Amino acid sequence: MRPAHLVEAVLFSSARPVSRGALASCTGLSAGEVERALAELAGRYSPERSGVVLREVAGGFQLATNPACSAAVERFRGEARPAPLSAAAHEVLACVLYLGPLTRGAISRVRGVNSDAVVRTLIERGLLAEKGSSEEGQAALLDVTEDFLVAAGASSREDFPPLESLVREEELERVRERLLRGEGR
Amino acid sequence: MTGPLSGFTVELDVYSGPYEWLLALILREELDILEVPLRELVGLYLRSRDPRSPQALRLDTEFVGSASALVLLKSRTLLPLPEEGEEAGEEPASPEELAERLGTYLKVRRAAEALRSRLEANAGHHPSAHEAPPRPGRQRVDRKRLLLSARRVFSRLEEPPVEHLGPITVTVQELAALILASLSRGPVSYEELTRGMDRLRSAVAFAAALSLAHEGSLRLRQPEPLGPLTLERAG
Repeated sequence: MRPAHLVEAVLFSSARPVSRGALASCTGLSAGEVERALAELAGRYSPERSGVVLREVAGGFQLATNPACSAAVERFRGEARPAPLSAAAHEVLACVLYLGPLTRGAISRVRGVNSDAVVRTLIERGLLAEKGSSEEGQAALLDVTEDFLVAAGASSREDFPPLESLVREEELERVRERLLRGEGR
Repeated sequence: MTGPLSGFTVELDVYSGPYEWLLALILREELDILEVPLRELVGLYLRSRDPRSPQALRLDTEFVGSASALVLLKSRTLLPLPEEGEEAGEEPASPEELAERLGTYLKVRRAAEALRSRLEANAGHHPSAHEAPPRPGRQRVDRKRLLLSARRVFSRLEEPPVEHLGPITVTVQELAALILASLSRGPVSYEELTRGMDRLRSAVAFAAALSLAHEGSLRLRQPEPLGPLTLERAG
């Protein structure tokens, strides 16, 4: 059996992303063979060529349907996508992703509003999880989950653009100027 | 619960039903006020109100009163809770500190917008529907969740209270014997059989008749649904 076939079969059988290590371990292939098999599968399962695509997410690889076919798949499975997240939920996720792990209190301080209800919804949806407690006390620390990385199509935290790159320095300078001008009044 | 607004029902994502029950759920903290879109709620009331109704003013006053309370409750809930040890009369933040906080928030806002696009772009991926069972030794059990689940399971095993029930004075066997004795004189209607019996005895008589029919000792005849039921000896 060719290495690509073995890797393909394992990925096909798993709903969760499978790491390179797990692929090598269960197929008996070397790291190099796994890498070559994945490269071959990436070509075969590209969005332009197939209804199934190879994704590199949450530190592993996953076979999933091509988003271009999502309407047909959702009709077949008879299930609606979960309701889109609110703007507040995206903000909480962004806080935890870039500044986390954070306590509920720290998230609320960054956003300036109580975020407990939003955090609860995100935990229920499996996008946030409690990971230990803060050094100062017993408050739980929240972090993004593997499901979040899968949902965002990210392999790890490093897949997201740096926070500093999202706002230009001139914009931040304008905020400072406005605040300082306001104080002088 | 029947208040002046008992006729007003709402259809929201988080709740669907009478408005007064919605208020009760919020007050009992069974529904989070933060999840209730107040603007939508007001819109629903405005669309449902009948300005020509003689009760219009009274209903409007009632709604304004309760809706204002919801607005107040929601605005209070939105305020961040003071951290442990944090004094209520804390020094106001300096402009530099405020600028720093706003800068961070601005970055988080931008990150949230980017995240929204990223989540939307990836929403159409559906993985294999086969979820492999966890490997032995890899399953992580959260102690707290296990404790909670165990409590739920064992609470169902507790004996329900039965003080309100009277002593059982009749058995299926007794009434089966009574039915067989009555049938020795020919077919008998269920109505005739249970005449003078209380509800418990009538119900047990029916169970006894079904039991006898099941074992083949009698036949049940009912020409039409809910029509008269006749019991007759089998064979």
